[in-house]
Amino acid sequence: MTKTMSYYPGCSSQASAVHLDTSLRAVMGKLGVELREVEDWNCCGASVGHIDGGHLGMFALNGRNLAAAQAQGPEDFVTPCAACYLNSHYHNEKIRGDEDLKTEVNEVLAAGGKSYDGSLHVRHSCEVLVNDIGMDKVKEQVTKPLTGLKVAGWIGCQTVRPFAKTERGGEFATYDDPQFLDDFITACGADAVPFKGKTKCCGGSVSVMSPDKTLHLMKDILDEVKATGAEVVVTPCPLCQTNLEMYQPMINEKFGTDFNYPVMFYSQLMAVAFGLDAEKDAALHQHLIPPQAVIARAK
Amino acid sequence: MNALSPNPGKTYDLNFARWVYENVDGGDRMALCMQCGTCSGSCPIGTQMDYGPRKLFMMIRAGMKEAVLTSNTLWNCVSCYNCVVRCPRKVPVTYILHDLAHVAVREGYAQAKDSDNARFARAFWWSAAKYGRTDERLVTAKYYFSFGMGEGIKRGMANQKIAMGMVKTKRMHLGMPHKVKNTGELKAMLAKAAELEAKKHGAK
Repeated sequence: MTKTMSYYPGCSSQASAVHLDTSLRAVMGKLGVELREVEDWNCCGASVGHIDGGHLGMFALNGRNLAAAQAQGPEDFVTPCAACYLNSHYHNEKIRGDEDLKTEVNEVLAAGGKSYDGSLHVRHSCEVLVNDIGMDKVKEQVTKPLTGLKVAGWIGCQTVRPFAKTERGGEFATYDDPQFLDDFITACGADAVPFKGKTKCCGGSVSVMSPDKTLHLMKDILDEVKATGAEVVVTPCPLCQTNLEMYQPMINEKFGTDFNYPVMFYSQLMAVAFGLDAEKDAALHQHLIPPQAVIARAK
Repeated sequence: MNALSPNPGKTYDLNFARWVYENVDGGDRMALCMQCGTCSGSCPIGTQMDYGPRKLFMMIRAGMKEAVLTSNTLWNCVSCYNCVVRCPRKVPVTYILHDLAHVAVREGYAQAKDSDNARFARAFWWSAAKYGRTDERLVTAKYYFSFGMGEGIKRGMANQKIAMGMVKTKRMHLGMPHKVKNTGELKAMLAKAAELEAKKHGAK
C-alpha cells in the first residue's frame, strides 16, 4: 500500500547534499512511500536565521512551508534534513500550542495569502523508516546485502535533539544513545561497529564559518572511527556529511593525522543494498572521498 | 513588556534578569536554573567560551547585561542541543542563547555585530530573504568578503580545493541561484514579520 507524505527536501538538497535527496527518493519509492514535494518550499532558517531575521522572520519561513504542505493534502510533513526537521518541528509545535502566537503567525502568512492551523505532523525521514515502514520491510527489499562491510553509524545532533520524541508518538530514538542508525546498517546486511560517539557534534554551522574553532570536534569523531576499524561512516545529517568529509584534509594538516574516510548517507547504503543503480539512485559518484568499498559492491 | 532591555549604563543592572525572563524565548524557564552546570558540562565547545551557559545565567541574574551581550558564549554555541535535553529543570538553554544573540545584534553591540556568526547570519538571511533558498556559494562568498576584499580573496583561495571538488561532484552548481517561484509572496510575509517585530522592540 502506498502512503503519501508531503516532502520538504531543504536547500542542501540542491547543493551539498544532493546525494541525500536522490538516494532517499529512490529508497522511499521502493518502500511504498510517495513523497510529494511541498509546493514552492523555502529555506527553514537553519541555525543562524534568527540572528538577522528575528523570531517572527523564522515563523514566516517555516509557516509558509507548513501552509503550502497543508494546502496540498497529506497530514505528514517529512524532511530528511536535521536542521529543517528541528525548525519545522519547533515552529509547528509553537503554532499549535499558543493561540495568540498562531494568530500573529497567521497575520504574517496572510500578507502572502496563506494560512496554517498547526495540525500537520512534522516527521524526520529516519523516524518514518522506523515507525511507518519498519526494518522488516527494509530487509525484504535487500537483494545485495553488504555482508562484511564495517560501518560506523554517526547520527550527529539535530536529528535527535531536541526532538527525538515524535509527533506521531512512536519510538524513534533517545537523545544520547539512539539505535536506529545501527538498525538501518544491519538491515542492509553490513556490520555496525560499536560507536560511542553516535551523537557527537561536528560543530554544525560554526564549522562552516570558523573551522579553526571546531576541527578538534571532528578529529575526535574520526579518531573513534579509526579505532573501530570501520571502512565507512554513515550519517543521516546533510551538514554532518559535508563537514566531516570536506574538512579531513584540513584536520590532517592541523593534527598530523592521515584520515581519508568516506562519509555517506544511510539512504545511499540502502539504495546499494536494494540493488538500485550506483549513480542514478545511490549517487555514489558525488563524494569528495569516494566510498570505494561500497562502490565495489554496487550494481 | 518592555520595548528594549534596560540600559542605564550600569555594570550591574538588576532589572536585566527580569527583562530576560519576560522577553527572551525560553527566558521564563531560565528563572528555574539551579546552577548545577549540566549545560556547561555537556557543551562540546564550552571550554572555548568566555563563560559556559551556567555562568552566563548567573551573570544575567547579577545584572551584568553588557558582559553577557558582548560575550562570545552567544557566538560559539554549535547548536547541538545537548544542554536542552539534559537540563534537569528543562531550561531551553540553546534557545535562550540564540535569542540573546539576536538581542545583542539588535541592540548594536559591536562585539556582536562583528562576530563571525553575525556576519555569516547576515549573508545567510540575505540569501533566504532574496531567493527563499540558501545559496551555499553566495552565502560563503558574501561571508568571506564581509572581512574585506583582501581577506575575502585569501579565504576563497584557501578553500578553492573544496569548492572545485564540490563542483566536480555536482554538489555546487554554476548557474543562477535556485529560488522560490513566488518571491513576492515570501517578501510580503517577511515584511509583515519585520513590521510586527519592530512594533514590539522599537525600530532599529
